[in-house]
Amino acid sequence: MAGVPEAVRTALAAIVGEVQLGTEPSVCEVLSVDGRVPDCVIYPGSAEQVAKTLKCAADNGLAVVAFGSATKLGIGNPPRKYDIALCTRNLTDVRYYEPSDLTAGVGAGMKFRDLQNLFKPDKLWLPLDPAGGGESTIGGIVAANVSGPLRHFYGTPRDMVVGMHVATTEGKLIKTGGRVVKNVAGYDLGKLLIGSYGTLGVITEVNLKLFPLPAERKTFILSTGTLGVARDLRRSILASPVEPLRMVLLDGKTAGVIGQGVQSERMSNEPQIWLEAGGSKSVVDRIWRELNALGQAVGAQVHTHDNEDTAGAWQAISDFASWTGKTYPGSVVLRGTMPIANSEKFLSLVQQEAQNEKVRMASVAQPGVGIVYLGLLNPQNSGQAAGLVSRIRNAAEKSDGALVVISAPAEVKAQVDAWGTAGTGFELMRKLKAAWDPKGILSPGRFVGAV
Amino acid sequence: MKMNTFTRELIAILGPEGVLSRPEDLMLYEYDGLSTLETPEAVVFPTSTEHVIQIVRLASARRVPIIPRGAGTGLSGGAVVTSGGIVVSLARMKKIVEIDLENQRARVQPGVVNTDLTLAVADAGYYYAPDPSSQKACTIGGNVAENSGGPHTLAYGVTTNHVLGLEAVLPDGEVIRTGGKCWDLPGYDLTGLMVGSEGTLGIVTEITVRLMRTPEAVETLLAVYDRVIDATKTVAAITAQGITPAALEMMDGFTLRAVEQATHAGYPMDSAAVLLIEVEGMREAVKEQAEQIEAVCAKNQVRSVRHAKTSDERALLWKGRKNAFGALGRISPNYYVQDGVIPRTKLPEMLEFIEEVARKYDFQIGNIFHAGDGNLHPLLMYDARDLDQSRRVVKAAQEIMARCAELGGSITGEHGVGVEKNELMPLVFSQDDLEFQRQIKNVMNPTGSFNPGKVLPSGKMCGELRVQVSAGG
Repeated sequence: MAGVPEAVRTALAAIVGEVQLGTEPSVCEVLSVDGRVPDCVIYPGSAEQVAKTLKCAADNGLAVVAFGSATKLGIGNPPRKYDIALCTRNLTDVRYYEPSDLTAGVGAGMKFRDLQNLFKPDKLWLPLDPAGGGESTIGGIVAANVSGPLRHFYGTPRDMVVGMHVATTEGKLIKTGGRVVKNVAGYDLGKLLIGSYGTLGVITEVNLKLFPLPAERKTFILSTGTLGVARDLRRSILASPVEPLRMVLLDGKTAGVIGQGVQSERMSNEPQIWLEAGGSKSVVDRIWRELNALGQAVGAQVHTHDNEDTAGAWQAISDFASWTGKTYPGSVVLRGTMPIANSEKFLSLVQQEAQNEKVRMASVAQPGVGIVYLGLLNPQNSGQAAGLVSRIRNAAEKSDGALVVISAPAEVKAQVDAWGTAGTGFELMRKLKAAWDPKGILSPGRFVGAV
Repeated sequence: MKMNTFTRELIAILGPEGVLSRPEDLMLYEYDGLSTLETPEAVVFPTSTEHVIQIVRLASARRVPIIPRGAGTGLSGGAVVTSGGIVVSLARMKKIVEIDLENQRARVQPGVVNTDLTLAVADAGYYYAPDPSSQKACTIGGNVAENSGGPHTLAYGVTTNHVLGLEAVLPDGEVIRTGGKCWDLPGYDLTGLMVGSEGTLGIVTEITVRLMRTPEAVETLLAVYDRVIDATKTVAAITAQGITPAALEMMDGFTLRAVEQATHAGYPMDSAAVLLIEVEGMREAVKEQAEQIEAVCAKNQVRSVRHAKTSDERALLWKGRKNAFGALGRISPNYYVQDGVIPRTKLPEMLEFIEEVARKYDFQIGNIFHAGDGNLHPLLMYDARDLDQSRRVVKAAQEIMARCAELGGSITGEHGVGVEKNELMPLVFSQDDLEFQRQIKNVMNPTGSFNPGKVLPSGKMCGELRVQVSAGG
């Protein structure tokens, strides 16, 4: 137990109170990242305590990995150093909530479920369907800028966060942005922090822009048969007046698994497009007619389901990475991002690669956005997996995109970078990181270019 | 002379047609949409990224400040010269580099005029959403620098929500490419940081934007009120109904009378306020939402609700709104337009406050609001030839800004900080907050050579609006 010296532990306990500092191996073990186990877990009860913790860690050169519910803790490169796990789960205050202004400010540790329950009585929501669902915290969602298929219509946390409070390694609490939905006062530091995976500071409070809940929602399932048909449908849907809230393309394997969760949906191992639309009854009816016509044109059947029947299935789609990981130990989950038109071509290329290697595969694509989640289910060994990841990454980068490793066994991560090529902006990123985290204590080595 | 050598060197890069150095030419670049400051040493017109790199290297070697400029329509003094230097006008970098409809993207040079991009893709059924009122003149590069808004950003977000990638020249002459055609590229969001940085962090030389599909149906309503309070209540009630209009604009009686005289859009001359409301999307949705909005208006004592029956009528209603500043310029020697934001529920309270300020300082104030998102543009009518008025108008504007901050809002929603409001930043940020911002600036622009004296407070002039209000007219 090199990491955290006894004296520092005492200092940390003094900041948060003895009971909010966990040092038992069993507690720390759960929070291991790629085989590295932290020396202690700290649960600050306020933003000020987070700031003090960071300062204490910085003064003592100790590495801190921040997390909320740990649903995304594994994303990133293996930490170079990992002494303290900092949990934001106790920061659950509602700082303000103005339904008529469609804004709210909450502690970073507030769970996504509690957040939605807070807004629901006013027919409002934060239109995200992130992996981890209700369990994940808003701070974690923002720090990782995660979104699910709903981003098709609503965008990502980047489009919904209007302000933040952040604890810095200097032990200060900083505000970025504000409480109003339109604001250009000063540099938009929030953008840097959103999606920075806790490498620049620890988010303690998030101010959000809210949206009205759609009156009615319906899911339409279109069997596509081949990727070619899927591509044609994607094109015709995007060119039609239909405005999907979310739209995914499931491969046969995933369609089979997800379909099991939906009553009256016949089992299918065929690729499917799932599309959810919202609005009034007449809007939803019109969409049903439009989709039927588009489906008929390419010989695809269309089924429709009520919102209540499919809510679980949509969550399972968002949780693709975690169920793949749980069902197939040793599997690798990747996220490719690319220009919209390249999604199907990319998928077909990857399927070919996997087939050549005799590795089974599952995928969920957001073809209207250009995002593809891939599961390599049963690679024979880490070398094979790493080789496949590199080739798939090449394909993604060649089509003007990128490929991120969402989850993989530690042996695979030892061989491939989690993020891929950093690009011409990297030197600046390194300097920005050095400005806010001069001692490099925040998740060292984990982010792009191992900053 | 040093100046001459420098000019010759600039001419060597750009040719004689790319450099202005005669005093009478330089005078035209002393001002932007806000005010007049110093005369630049030279104005240069690069036509390529390579030009920009060479200009930046040359100027940096000579420690000459660089002030990037688009169309000069900015309203916070972002493009004026504060401490010498050259103006780099991007106006001639106006190529639409690529239109990629299947991917819903376009790549443009910074000098492309906002509305020209929409015109280029309109026939194919697409448009570029951010639509500042100056969209027929302002450039997309300028929009990126200011993170500009516009009436239709209520539903679709401001510039930053539509920019996916940038090419930019940094103060050391290095070029970076951030983002691209796809979302969520790994790494810190440098694109998001650069948008709205007012030319202080880099000179943007190419922009990748999102194009959106033109909606199937649009309905434009003009709701006419006899009392301002009823109009503001309607705004809150529409939101409470779960309707997000594409645009929700408000003009008070004083403003709409000036507008009507100038544009003959058909605004009723005797009303106290009008709301210009637009809903768009699928036919069915638009029809229902227009009906719901009409019902909400009726509940809030609306005098009448007029539907634009033709696209010409719609265009005319919008022309009135978008040319409102000009219309007010016709009736007052000068005006000072402010840009503040408040939570939208505070609209009635804020309007009362603005009235008080108008009485206290003895000015006529016209009100034009992007009411849907709480973004206010009070216009203070004054006469710049009267020194006392010029002093008072700044004080009055400052009180309004302070009130916006007190109500939990912001000192600028879309016009930017520039030289106008950098000393007001402490109204919304603590010293620590500002220090954090300064650190970022020091990383990106260590010598401060790009657009000096903008955005962050100098610390020299405590908490004051810094503006020679004279241009607005």
